[in-house]
Amino acid sequence: MRKNTLYFGLSSIITLILFWVLSTPLGPAPPLGPFMNPNAGFWANAETDYNNDLEFQVNDEALSDSIRVYFDDKQIPHIFAANDNDLYFAQGYITARDRLWQMELQTHAAAGRLSEILGPQMLDYDRYRRRIGMGYAAEQALEGMLLDEQTFSAIESYAAGVNAWIDQLDPAEYPIEYKILDYAPEEWTPVKSALLLKYMTYMLAGNNGDLRMSNTKAFFGDSFIKNILDLDPNWNDPTIPSSKEWDFEADLPPKPNDSFIPSIVEDILPFQPDPANGSNNWAVSGSKTASGYPILANDPHLNMTLPSIWYAAQLNSPSQNVMGVSLPGVPTIIVGFNEDIAWGTTNVGADVWDWYEIEFRDSTLSEYKHDGVWKETEKRIEKINIKGGETVIDTVIYTHHGPVVQDSENEVGSSNVPKYHAMRWIAYEPSNETRYFLEINKAKNYKDYRNALQHYDNPAQNWVFADSSDIAITVTGQYPKKWNEQGRYISDGSNAAYDWQGWIPFEQIPYIKNPERGFVSSANQDPTDSSYPHYLDDDFGPFERGRRINEQLASMDNITAQDMQNLQLDTYSYHAAKVLPTMMEMLNTDTLSEWHQQAYEELQNWNYENNGDLIAPSIFKYWWDELYSAIWSDEYQYADIPLDWPARDQVAWLVVNQPDLKWYDNITTDSKETLQDLVNNSSHKAMSKLTKEFGSYGDNWKWGYVNETTIGHLGQIPGFGKPLFTDGGAESINAIRDSHGPSWRMVVELGPEIKARAIYPGGQSGNPGSKYYANMAVDWNNGKLYPLWFMKNEPVASDSTNYSIIIK
Amino acid sequence: MLLALLIAITAWILSLFMPWWSLAIPCVLFGAWKGEKGSSSFLYGFIGIGALWLIQVLIIDMQNQQVLSSRIADLFSLPHSSLVILITVIIGGLAGGFSTLTGYFAKEFFSN
Repeated sequence: MRKNTLYFGLSSIITLILFWVLSTPLGPAPPLGPFMNPNAGFWANAETDYNNDLEFQVNDEALSDSIRVYFDDKQIPHIFAANDNDLYFAQGYITARDRLWQMELQTHAAAGRLSEILGPQMLDYDRYRRRIGMGYAAEQALEGMLLDEQTFSAIESYAAGVNAWIDQLDPAEYPIEYKILDYAPEEWTPVKSALLLKYMTYMLAGNNGDLRMSNTKAFFGDSFIKNILDLDPNWNDPTIPSSKEWDFEADLPPKPNDSFIPSIVEDILPFQPDPANGSNNWAVSGSKTASGYPILANDPHLNMTLPSIWYAAQLNSPSQNVMGVSLPGVPTIIVGFNEDIAWGTTNVGADVWDWYEIEFRDSTLSEYKHDGVWKETEKRIEKINIKGGETVIDTVIYTHHGPVVQDSENEVGSSNVPKYHAMRWIAYEPSNETRYFLEINKAKNYKDYRNALQHYDNPAQNWVFADSSDIAITVTGQYPKKWNEQGRYISDGSNAAYDWQGWIPFEQIPYIKNPERGFVSSANQDPTDSSYPHYLDDDFGPFERGRRINEQLASMDNITAQDMQNLQLDTYSYHAAKVLPTMMEMLNTDTLSEWHQQAYEELQNWNYENNGDLIAPSIFKYWWDELYSAIWSDEYQYADIPLDWPARDQVAWLVVNQPDLKWYDNITTDSKETLQDLVNNSSHKAMSKLTKEFGSYGDNWKWGYVNETTIGHLGQIPGFGKPLFTDGGAESINAIRDSHGPSWRMVVELGPEIKARAIYPGGQSGNPGSKYYANMAVDWNNGKLYPLWFMKNEPVASDSTNYSIIIK
Repeated sequence: MLLALLIAITAWILSLFMPWWSLAIPCVLFGAWKGEKGSSSFLYGFIGIGALWLIQVLIIDMQNQQVLSSRIADLFSLPHSSLVILITVIIGGLAGGFSTLTGYFAKEFFSN
């Protein structure tokens, strides 16, 4: 009797504890019971059947007819709908089916809501997103969309489609990341589409150097800025050829007479996102192609993740037939082609993010001085919910410029008149980029393209265009009208002359149609030469890719799609070709050790191709980095504030053309160093660094290993990414470095029968348990592009579609 | 062995519409009804759920060609995807074994 009680008690307790442990998250690991069981755990995400035709009943009143979706062998959906609303409903539905977790994560990240799902360690990340006004920006954008009925019904139909998918999901069918992180999807709303677009703006127009420039000016003085940072090596070949005449008078705002000196504030977050410098696009006219019709090529470069930022699709309704890639979370095709035209993009990178020093009346921050009077600030309350913690409430002060990103909270009582900084950013303007995408998806010719562009505001993009007779490129975006160098440094927030004063009119935005040279192109470089009357920025992408593309295109004739594909894969390093001969000349070769001598020969025989199988690119990269640092670190190390460093091209130009500069001397030593000393020293340093990181000289120094290309999982879940051995490099057309690279390669042949080939480094499915999760990565890496199946009509039973889905 | 079979079949049926912990229901009930000894009750409970999960998971894993199990193995830093299957089976087996044992002891406790 006693024994039985004891056994029953013990086994009940052990069983209860076991079930409790299996139901509880263990640190970062998900609860093992729900996660491991074969029916609803991760095993339910293992896809086992890829070819079954499916039918879904959504019973949505919004749908006017059934929608047919055909999947090809790359799992690209081809959606056929009776009207545009049905079409965008289906796009939302199908995209959510493949990418729901990604859609939600990216919009949570944009809105500063990651703490809700990942816990308190994301609080700083979230606070920063709130304080730069991401939510505010998305609300402004949504306001812009609401004004346009066509846009809003597209966004709403898309949201209804996403929600129809979410509503029929059983928890066992949730994407695996929900199970790992232990949460559930929430309702999709139109503001999330706006958030995603502003997330792109943040990624592509979130670069600003005001603080660094102001610090640098104060630290090194004006002459340094003039002689080094303003140095124009004249290697740039602008997007808009120099032959273009600007046939307008620019109505520029007057430059203020005073010379405002910012009280340098180290407490502004030094913000420098990874410059998205890698995208290329071009279009060649029929006069240069074998077919006699234009060819358009585009490879926008972004952070490469799994799931990929892009989702390929074809959208077909009676009013359109368009194919390309979409952004999961936004209706329409973003980069692609239809039966008449093709279009593509690269980032512009104009200065549309400025900082203003604000003079507040008192520590309540409720009034600030502007244009001689005290004006009231506004407060925006941000509530940050935290998984496993208490909600944090943050109050953000807004001036008419924008939010005060950092305020007194961190330094209470330091002064009665604190001077903090407000941020002005293009994303705060109401805008409606979706209208542009809706129109370009249906565009038939150059005129439609130009009309559509008028709706495109941010992030500024070089939209390239081709139809069967015309080619064009427009440096598109909403740009504030600025006096020369306005916003290069921190601005005076109390002086109205520093405000943004209106916008550059659309007709004055740089563009070119059918230039004489027979091609248009862009590669993030300076859009124009100095004759362009408006001020856009001082700091654009480096020159190499743009110049290489232009030289190659100029020399080519009878161009085929294969030639364009080869050019996208070009790994030539203009940078090495420019600077390496000088470095080699200065190197003392008689004292080199045997293997060092071998390495030297590798460099001497190098054709400047960043080929994964070569060792030379690795040595050059490390050598250059060491040399750059040897020239500047000694001077820069005395400042512990963020400074602006000279651009790679500027330093390369100095090394080649000015062998005697005071900057070469290492000011921390008594002796006087010359450039030659630095070149030799840095060569030895580079060799020992490579040895330390990759072992002794040999095959493990190959560029493919040193360049370390990894396509990581979007949520950084280990095991869900894919490391690759790649060619390319930051200064090549094929600008792959780390996890940054050609996120979509596309070549479109225009003409009566439009033909396209394309690929992206990832897969259509966002499910790590699907064979379509990363299936394109290896082919992408090998430089392969897939011919796209652009359906003119709905496929019939004899066509080799993989499977179909009917949505009723 | 009948005990293991009864547990597996019932647990499988319940799993079609109930959460994972529903496996405890047949374990406790059949453990009380058919359990003869503590050790055999635990063993048959372990085998019942362990084998059920093993069969389910093997079928899934083969059809999926180890795409997911190898990624999960990486996630948990395991050297081989078969270990993911092993862990799944052990978790299911332990849950099954202990709840069947509890069923058996419950009968012993209440019948005396």
